[in-house]
Amino acid sequence: MANTWGYGAMTNSLNDIQNAKAIIIFGANPAVNHPVGFRHLLVAKERNNAQIIVVDPRFTRTAAHADLYAQIRPGTDIAFMYGMLNIIFKNGWENKEFINDRVYGMDDIRKEAAKWTPERVSDVTGVSTQKLIQITNAYARQTPGTLLWAMGLTQHTIGSSNTRIAPILQLALGNMGVEGGGCNILRGHDNVQGATDMCCLSHTLPGYYGLSDGSWKYFAKSWGVDYNWLKGRFKAKEWMNKKGFTLARWYAGVLAGKAGEDKIHNAGTNLKALVVLGNGITSIDQQAKVKEALDNLELIVIADPFVNEAVVLTDKKDDVFLLPAASQFETSGCVTATNRSAQWRSQVIEPLYESKTDQDLMFELAKRLGFYKEFTKGMLMKENKKSFKWPEDATDEFARIIKTIGFTGWTSKRLKNHQKNWDKFDHVSLMGYGPMKGEYYGLPWPCWTETHSGSPVLYDINRSVKEGGMGFRNRFGLMHDGVDLLAGKGSAPKDSANPDGYPEITAKNIEKVLGITLSASEKKRIGKNWKVDTSNIIAQKCMERGMAPYGNAKARANVWTFPDRIPMHREPLHSPRQDLVKEYPTYKDKPNHYRVDTRYASEQDKEDWSKKFPINLITGRLVNMNGAGVETRSSKYLAKLSPEMFCDINPGLAANHDIKNGDMMWIHSPSDTKIKVKARFTYSVAEDRVFLPMHFAGYFQGEDRSAHYPKGHKPYAVGESANTVTNYGYDIVTQLPETKGGLCRIEKA
Amino acid sequence: MKKVILLCLSMISAFAQSYAGKVPLVSQNQGVYDGTSRLNSPELLHNIMLYQNWGGLFVNLQIHWFRTLFFGITVGVLVVFFLHYIVIGPKKFAHDGKAIYVYNLFKRIIHWMAALAFVIVIPTGFMMIFGKELGGGTLVLDARYLHSIGTVLFIVSVIPMFLMWLIPMLATFDDVKWLFMAGGYLTKKKVVVPAGQFNAGQKMWFWLATLGGFVMIITGAAMYFEDFDLAILKSLNLDQIDILRISAIVHNFLGMAVTALFVTHLYMSLFAIKGSLDSMISGNKSEDEVKYMHSSFYKKLKKEDKI
Amino acid sequence: MSSFARMKFYCDEKRCIDCDGCSVACDEAHELPVGISRRKVILLNEGIEGKEFSTSVACMHCTDAPCEQVCPVNCFYIREDGIVLHDKNICIGCGYCLYACPFGAPQFPTDGAFGTRGVMDKCTMCAGGPEPTNSDAERKLYGQNRIAEGKVPACAAMCSTKALIVGDAQSVSKIYRERVASVGHGVQSAPYGWSKAYGK
Repeated sequence: MANTWGYGAMTNSLNDIQNAKAIIIFGANPAVNHPVGFRHLLVAKERNNAQIIVVDPRFTRTAAHADLYAQIRPGTDIAFMYGMLNIIFKNGWENKEFINDRVYGMDDIRKEAAKWTPERVSDVTGVSTQKLIQITNAYARQTPGTLLWAMGLTQHTIGSSNTRIAPILQLALGNMGVEGGGCNILRGHDNVQGATDMCCLSHTLPGYYGLSDGSWKYFAKSWGVDYNWLKGRFKAKEWMNKKGFTLARWYAGVLAGKAGEDKIHNAGTNLKALVVLGNGITSIDQQAKVKEALDNLELIVIADPFVNEAVVLTDKKDDVFLLPAASQFETSGCVTATNRSAQWRSQVIEPLYESKTDQDLMFELAKRLGFYKEFTKGMLMKENKKSFKWPEDATDEFARIIKTIGFTGWTSKRLKNHQKNWDKFDHVSLMGYGPMKGEYYGLPWPCWTETHSGSPVLYDINRSVKEGGMGFRNRFGLMHDGVDLLAGKGSAPKDSANPDGYPEITAKNIEKVLGITLSASEKKRIGKNWKVDTSNIIAQKCMERGMAPYGNAKARANVWTFPDRIPMHREPLHSPRQDLVKEYPTYKDKPNHYRVDTRYASEQDKEDWSKKFPINLITGRLVNMNGAGVETRSSKYLAKLSPEMFCDINPGLAANHDIKNGDMMWIHSPSDTKIKVKARFTYSVAEDRVFLPMHFAGYFQGEDRSAHYPKGHKPYAVGESANTVTNYGYDIVTQLPETKGGLCRIEKA
Repeated sequence: MKKVILLCLSMISAFAQSYAGKVPLVSQNQGVYDGTSRLNSPELLHNIMLYQNWGGLFVNLQIHWFRTLFFGITVGVLVVFFLHYIVIGPKKFAHDGKAIYVYNLFKRIIHWMAALAFVIVIPTGFMMIFGKELGGGTLVLDARYLHSIGTVLFIVSVIPMFLMWLIPMLATFDDVKWLFMAGGYLTKKKVVVPAGQFNAGQKMWFWLATLGGFVMIITGAAMYFEDFDLAILKSLNLDQIDILRISAIVHNFLGMAVTALFVTHLYMSLFAIKGSLDSMISGNKSEDEVKYMHSSFYKKLKKEDKI
Repeated sequence: MSSFARMKFYCDEKRCIDCDGCSVACDEAHELPVGISRRKVILLNEGIEGKEFSTSVACMHCTDAPCEQVCPVNCFYIREDGIVLHDKNICIGCGYCLYACPFGAPQFPTDGAFGTRGVMDKCTMCAGGPEPTNSDAERKLYGQNRIAEGKVPACAAMCSTKALIVGDAQSVSKIYRERVASVGHGVQSAPYGWSKAYGK
């Protein structure tokens, strides 16, 4: 997403889906995972006669409300979307003007799409040609159409290509930057967008600043700490600029060196300690490896309001610490919704018993480690204070520093005002009225200045920049392969002083691009470019001229820095279609992928996996559970709805294995792991696949480990974790695990 | 047997259907009418559809028939016997003659256990049926619990009782004759009644109390446990809730029959045949009584030279 | 004749997404034992394209409530606004109301003597019972009395897609009629207008 047009976030909002005339959903199940947000889809269907189209390997609850449904083979979304593009281009349904003015590289897509005839798509995806044509017809000929996705699209070895082909489909149809259109990625849980923006990531600094020296220096200056002191915290300077481990593969950092384990590149040492702040450890794949890694760590520290599954999974007895973290009701601050809106939350009660808020845990840790002063200094700098007030000063700190995604307007004062007046916003457009006139609810970022309205719809050139309009971001240079990357003539946002494309604004080009003259004092204060301009002169001037600080460029369908320049279909590492593996093989093995040597081709070619493991394995969520489920399984009323782990299986498939409804069954994975679960008959899965919910823990490979819970802490529902049998496989760019496309073998227990 | 039960049930059903229409059912309460709603297609809401069979029947019977019938049968039987006592009067037999030992101690114990069970179960059953008049609450709730406890006693006694009297209780040609002359109870004269060890009336009571008793236990257990899941029900295409409804219907109708014959039994043993109660206390029947009331049995004993 | 309209539940099965928000809200609001489900979401024809749908069922507060008619101890009473309630101090837990109910609404906890079936429990439309309104006794036996506080029952308040509607029959009809009438008429965004955030 970010590599297509600038930002990797939901472009519109859940509310805006009401404006859609067609809704297509790939690998998402909003009726289960976003039940409240799903109302907007239903309203669109009711009031707009919008067609809801669901493309999913499983007939989900969302599919039950869809007008059209295609049961796709897991991991073949790219083939399906090329199939759609093939039909679109053949019939001339694409938005030619939009492509010409605002998209780079669509011709490459056109060439690739030509290869994906409906017949071939049908062979690869398992969806009939009629259905493909029907869906394309329904979606392409209704505008605006919105495209939704979630983990079903991203958790694949080709996940990063999946998340590019979907925007390309939208670009081809001109569905970007319009109300009721856009690429709406549904975030998995509370404040994921905020956590990503604030850099719970290992390859960027907060606000998606890279790991270059320039970024480090900018942050050192903004945090009020010495750059050399920061540098001194690292083993060697080079490690400042290198990506870290990811959540998906931290275990490799512990297990490296053992027989059969992937090599790591971690300054010659293995990981020795693990600190977990509110992550369900069973929510990532390869649980057997995770268990082994936990057993081999020297120190485990877990901060969680509930007893994290990690302590149940591991056999480690000493040096395992549980810190009682406070819940969201015991603290306050701002969280970011899926549509980039900020919401301020107030504390309901003081932390109970000896529990501590996350920030207090970290402050105490920083004190013990001796950098508390540096850690908190950024909060004092705005007003040169002696002490800080949590969380207001923290919010003001990131509003001051982070320019890339336009946090400047997110001052604590404004966000609190939105909380106080949340009834004074329209439910569809998010537009405020009365005292909130001129602002959108939650100031969806980018919110360029302290008076900016927020941007409810990204890349919308039909509104002025002051009112949240913008073109695509100029992020990938000005030219590529001799083609101008700036937007075409007349495609600037409304009321722009420059009607055409223009580059991102720097101190050097500001006068020329904006057509203004800066005063001497302004020239002195202005930052090097819009991303580091703490004086905010660039943003202010841009607003006055109706221009976006990040420029106005073309989105790119061709990402020349990626392993696949245009998205290419590649079979999952463990594919049931060995004939197609030869035609669409996976990537070459990737060394030093977030510090871990990751297997691709060598894993795929190791054997004909489909012989021993003929059944597709898909995982997903239940409506009453969240994440690894420790808090929801600890609620008796929620646990009552799904008191034990189960496997959704088609009665036809079950009959072949002599499994009856309610029988226990084994599921074996290619990684030589297995789980014992209860069979639950349903027709929502086809006869070649089974579905597992991912929320359970407490059992491991048939063994009941729930006795490991401290007394009185065993959740009401325990069971096998689906991630014990999800297959090896990681995205080539982001390293997201391939939990949505794997193989397994089943047998009656 | 299954066929017979089903036949009976369908007859009850037909009878009740003719009465249907007087109880407003609940279809108008399902909400806003929407022609396109899938809920309006009756085969989809399985349970509501089935409701029309057994649910509606149960509601009809419970509202209009059960209480009335129980009241009518009980009062009717009492009135009939009262009149019988006044008009025809009890039978008296000489008790000074030879005593014939007919019931050993074991049989008497079993009999009295069952008797105690009936004494618990029938009045508590009545308390539930006429709970309205008692005001409900703890009193009736405790009666319900006592009803279950009485059942346990009944289960313990009915099995040996069934086995010990199974053979003599089998029907004979005497029983037909007995039925034609109504057991000789409609005359003041002391007539010889054709009967073996047990007469047809006693046999009726026996079979109702044992076989009917088993049915009462099963239907009662269904209602007591409420939640059960048996594959056999599915094969009969019956839902749990319908089993419960059928159980309640059967339990009530059988309850009426049991009540009627229980009262008859009491009347016969306590009032109609003076001194017959003695046989269940000491185990002895007078020769005079056996000679008239169990003539075939008497002849048999004579032949075998046991008297 | 009373001037009250009758209170009704209505579940729009085109909107119901089987999320169980209503049933969990109910369990939680009234702190019910785990074995009691005053409200249930039922899913029909799971996984069959074009036929799968779900709906939320609890006591429908029938006009001619059969439960009230079959009760051998007369523990039911129907409020003027049509809410069907019962008195747990009179109920004997016989189960007849369950046999009479087409919706499976009556529930029986196993809290009687020796773990046997206790007295009946069912949806009160969050209107409590015969005990003094909002008293501890009422709360303990019947859960919250939200109606007395002027609140919507917990289930409908929590419904994520607003499929479950509750209110007097006329209001429920009105909401639904509006929904049907608005089909195809575009989204409803308030015409608040817009004045510039900058300058002027």
